[in-house]
Amino acid sequence: MIQTAQLAITVNGKSWTGEVPVETQLLDLLRTHLGLIGTKRGCESEVCGACTVLIDGIPVSSCNYLAFEANGKTVTTIEGLETNGELHPLQAAFMRNVAAQCGYCTPGQILAAVALLQENASPTYEEIARWMTGNICRCGCYPAIATAIREVSEETGSRA
Amino acid sequence: MGNILLSPFRLMTPTTVSEAAAELSRLGDAAKIYAGGAELLLLLRHGIVQAEYLVNIKRIPGIDDIAVDGELVRIGAAVTHRRLERDLLVRERLPILAEAESHIGNIRVRAQGTIGGNLCFADPHADPGTALLVHEAFAVVAGPGGTRRIPLEEFFVGTYETALAPDELLTEIQVQPLSPGWNGAFLRIEQYYRPTANVAAAVQMGQDRIQDVRLAVGCIGPRALRLSEIESELVGLPLEEADQKLAGSKAYLAERLEPVDDLLGSADYKIHITRALLRRALHQASQYA
Repeated sequence: MIQTAQLAITVNGKSWTGEVPVETQLLDLLRTHLGLIGTKRGCESEVCGACTVLIDGIPVSSCNYLAFEANGKTVTTIEGLETNGELHPLQAAFMRNVAAQCGYCTPGQILAAVALLQENASPTYEEIARWMTGNICRCGCYPAIATAIREVSEETGSRA
Repeated sequence: MGNILLSPFRLMTPTTVSEAAAELSRLGDAAKIYAGGAELLLLLRHGIVQAEYLVNIKRIPGIDDIAVDGELVRIGAAVTHRRLERDLLVRERLPILAEAESHIGNIRVRAQGTIGGNLCFADPHADPGTALLVHEAFAVVAGPGGTRRIPLEEFFVGTYETALAPDELLTEIQVQPLSPGWNGAFLRIEQYYRPTANVAAAVQMGQDRIQDVRLAVGCIGPRALRLSEIESELVGLPLEEADQKLAGSKAYLAERLEPVDDLLGSADYKIHITRALLRRALHQASQYA
């Protein structure tokens, strides 16, 4: 006797409606039901950040977030950042700075950075480090990641 | 590793506190209270906690409100850490709490986790409880028989253990801001997001002496607690003498805090660190006076 929940969510700008068991985690809805495999399964403990997605612009660990909670909200995954085939400035800056080796953590890193720049358009290095502390990169690309974020904030950030 | 699925559960969604208490009473051990889920879902997935029912309390009106009531700040149990970290009213009136909240986990945990969940989970390695203890905060708890107001120091019973009865839920935390003339500080040291030790201090200075002081320590023993004996010894002392008193408090701290050796450090190290943090916090809190 599985209990289900009706969902109406906006995923990467497109509306999706469906029914899922209440215990379904957002990560499984995204990867299995919607085929959005850019969101990665990592530690499953809210530590590593590989599964980071944005819910109404706020980063959450989709591995530890019940899908029904997203009802009525907008979900942004790495697949939703490009506009008309053009990469998001952070995606371009990550590439330019080679801010990844294996790339497994990269979708989560970029989404966390998107949320950071929405909240703080011109973060200091320390502010970047503190915000991004929840996204682990085992390849150790942190300096390049921070540089990429700084470059985008300098392009678009306010100087106030 | 790899796709640890949650076992199926039934989700109950009460819309009043008494309905929630009635569900908890009816379902007993089979039910767990669900708010943010930051801790609970982890424990369920790993089989550390079992639940046939989750009682989602987030639809109870007011349970995620922050309100000012006279001098009291009333914080709903389902208010997230992120809100407490950023809320202007909290930052202005309860800066020690806002500071403690800003250190929790990471940005995702703070967006999801709630103050009520954090306090009820009663993990000794937590920050908000330590900060709230120097405010002498109260936990408001509701059950089938009505509500009761418990001093936070009594709410924390032990490791993962609170004064909540099985059919009770925490609905609100009532916090009195520090009075004019008082100042506070919250300090912690951490390893992999988790605090190894944290302290909160609130001090009222006057005529270069400590008029009154509150000190709380978390993470070291089974629960966060106040250091009442040392507090009363510090009253009336100039800062330098108070600092000397804290410097000589090792034996008292070891007895009061009951530290154990673990992966975060030896018991001796933890007392050493706590004493250092206490001295710094006292100094910091007294500088603004």
